[in-house]
Amino acid sequence: MKTPLRFILFVFAVLTLSGCDGQKIASESLTVLAGSELKDMEPLLDDIESKTGIKLQMSYSGTLDGAEKLIAGGPTDLAWFSHGKYISLVQGDNNRILAQEKIMLSPVVLGVKESVAKAWGWVGNPNVTWRDIATKAANGELRYAMADPASSNSGFTALVGVATALSGSSDALSVKDIDKAQLGGFFKGQQLSAGSSGWLVDAFVKEQSRLNGIINYESVLMALNRDKRLEDSLVLIYPKEGIITADYPLMLINGEKREAYNKLVAYLTSPEFQQKIMEQTLRRPVIPQVKLSADFASNLLVELSFPNDLAAIDKLLFAYQDKHRRSSHAYFVLDVSGSMKGERLQELQTALKNLTGQDLTLSGRFNRFRSRETLTFIPFDNQVYPAKTFTINDPDSQSADMQAVRNYIDSLQPQGVTGIYQALQAAYRMALEARHKEPDRFYSIVLMTDGENNAGISEEGFAQYIASLPAQDQGIKTFTIQFGEAKQEAMKQLADITDGQLFDGRQSLNKAFKTIRGYQ
Amino acid sequence: MRKLIAPILTLLLVLGLGAGIYVSVNEQLSKQSIVTVRGLIGSEKEDFFRDPLVVAALAKQGLTVEFEKAGSRQIATQYKLKDYDFAFPSGAPAAEKIKREASVNKAYEVFFTPMAVASWKMIAGILEANGLVKQREGIYYIIDMTRLLQLIAAEKRWSDLAKNDAYNVKKSLLMGTTDVRQSNSAAMYLSLASYILNNNNIVDSAAQIGPIIQPLESLFLRQGFVENSSAGPFKDYLVMGPGKAPLVMIYEAQYLEEASRANSGLNDAMALLYPEPTIFTKHILIPFNDKGERLGVALADDPELQKLALEHGFRNRDAAGFRNFLKSHNLAVPDTLVNVVEPPTFEILEQMITMIEQRYKGN
Repeated sequence: MKTPLRFILFVFAVLTLSGCDGQKIASESLTVLAGSELKDMEPLLDDIESKTGIKLQMSYSGTLDGAEKLIAGGPTDLAWFSHGKYISLVQGDNNRILAQEKIMLSPVVLGVKESVAKAWGWVGNPNVTWRDIATKAANGELRYAMADPASSNSGFTALVGVATALSGSSDALSVKDIDKAQLGGFFKGQQLSAGSSGWLVDAFVKEQSRLNGIINYESVLMALNRDKRLEDSLVLIYPKEGIITADYPLMLINGEKREAYNKLVAYLTSPEFQQKIMEQTLRRPVIPQVKLSADFASNLLVELSFPNDLAAIDKLLFAYQDKHRRSSHAYFVLDVSGSMKGERLQELQTALKNLTGQDLTLSGRFNRFRSRETLTFIPFDNQVYPAKTFTINDPDSQSADMQAVRNYIDSLQPQGVTGIYQALQAAYRMALEARHKEPDRFYSIVLMTDGENNAGISEEGFAQYIASLPAQDQGIKTFTIQFGEAKQEAMKQLADITDGQLFDGRQSLNKAFKTIRGYQ
Repeated sequence: MRKLIAPILTLLLVLGLGAGIYVSVNEQLSKQSIVTVRGLIGSEKEDFFRDPLVVAALAKQGLTVEFEKAGSRQIATQYKLKDYDFAFPSGAPAAEKIKREASVNKAYEVFFTPMAVASWKMIAGILEANGLVKQREGIYYIIDMTRLLQLIAAEKRWSDLAKNDAYNVKKSLLMGTTDVRQSNSAAMYLSLASYILNNNNIVDSAAQIGPIIQPLESLFLRQGFVENSSAGPFKDYLVMGPGKAPLVMIYEAQYLEEASRANSGLNDAMALLYPEPTIFTKHILIPFNDKGERLGVALADDPELQKLALEHGFRNRDAAGFRNFLKSHNLAVPDTLVNVVEPPTFEILEQMITMIEQRYKGN
């Protein structure tokens, strides 16, 4: 008797379970290739899952990086960036976007410290133009932070907007307009660059005493104004010629997920969820049924046209990198100790040579060494080798300047043990000396090592050295690249001492070096 | 006691299974009589197909529709038509393009709608002050399309107009459209503009294109990046205000559909402008197989579906029904339009679009 009873109970259990499970089986997981500025949607993902049964698995990426992944056919169900226009243009006929719907809106605008905005008569003034802003930047009064256009959508959008406005044309930017745009003055005021909008905000907060403006999404600036860390709140300026609004289209890439996509879009654009977006992320709704709250500026927002011409966008990005932005002086402190022998050194050499214009991917093209840029390489093992400095006048990959850099990189030889901090200290001394001579450039140091410090001065010794520098000598950041057996914790601390950032080069040194370019 | 449990459970199991099979067989039977028809539609008809009343009326005809949205002109070039049962683009030229691509002769004219311009009263006021717009019986008409197009071609800005205090903006005077290479509503604007620039004559030879192609190109190229399908610009119109595009070329039906919604996104500051002349867009269904044909017949001939189309702002043979729709929603809209032009032939329109496409490619 025992066996049949058990059997019947088992059958019952299976039937009951499968019956109840009807709801749960419907829940599914979708992968999303997303712009890093969408990280603030994380707190809403649980709500989305509970209302739609769809779990979104986000993986984050920069502007060009994301476009590149999509075009290369990288597997993802959905893509979600602050705007899809560049991706649409760059994909050409290789159409991977099967459907797209706008989910929310946020214009890219300028935030200026209230005290400064008052002094300039910019508070509540609808007539401030990009031209006015450029004038203040050119004469040194406006010192702002803006993300790198090749790495970050906020920087990219700002660049397109400013160039359109300053070209004097009221139409979409074309190739011939780019030379007309007087951008040099405007970008004199850019005193902080970063590879991501989020990092830019943190760096702005740390350096708020020397800066007085920041370009970013309206939503980011509104959130920053609620941040206790800010000493002087920001007045948001919506320049009269116009701005460009990010519209965050959710794009369907995998056609088999169309049903789930439709369900997702229906919920994301419902009044219920749109209200949540507005309240929690400070972005504007895309449906008229949700009224804009009083927190938002209600003035007329003139929208500039976005170019439909890839050649114009290419030219603009290169004009920014090679001509208009502050030139930079980048120090590369490179571990050539014995443990780097073989494949590791080869990987390092390839990554660096790629920056001389040999990487033809989107991110490679726009992250190469720039015209007017100075590069100093400082190889080290247990001793610090003589530094070698190059200046790039011709950014063509075949130019003599780029060839000289490649020849030098090929000549690097591994030997000895690892003395990190003494090499870094040497780099700081050189960078400070250079900055005293030419203060109007971006200075940064990159440290790449595959091991632990086992020669020369200690981390404490280095930290003391940095702390001992007078105030005017602070502010040169070190970006560390973790490689080989280098300890993550130590590398992070080292970056933190100088307000820099750690990048993981273990998967790809090439990618790490490219990513850091946005900060240089 | 325990001896009893097993037989009782067995009995319950048998009964339960029996009931389950009965229910699922019944479901299968009723599902079988409903045919799922898959197709590609212009985005402006999405709400029509999502309307529960439309879904129910189609179910009565034994049909359920699954659709993907696409730019009407994209349908012919970017989709494998064999994978679908029908296409339902906007515009006779787009329908013709699909018929040729799929080698299909059949087509069902389901409903039509005139092109109109979504705008704001303050914008209409500026145009009125500049002699471009006139109100008749509470309806705005763009009475001088020729001069409006001339101003656009001369690259005038809003700041160049007289009495523009309400919108003294450096933006170019342009009509916001979709992408003319992908979408019918922009192609309709091109058709209309080509008629006007060709001295109020339908362009009927290649020789007539040459002298007007430059101003025609500039209507589109200068806008920069625009969307592929008609729902996009209209959604922007509803939420982004006149700063995005003060004049947006749309289908009249889009505006009327929104106006008749319980929770309408339109407000008192908004206005619909009728170009004089204007042009009609026919919404034509092209079947690729028997299932598609069944849908075409149902949409074109079923009185209930035709009446529901009126409720979504489309016009059809039932002029009295359309007047009733306007009356019941208190809409000030011309119930008949007399000043209407025909689009050029398919070949001429394609030729103009191809020339503009070349310019997009930088040639």
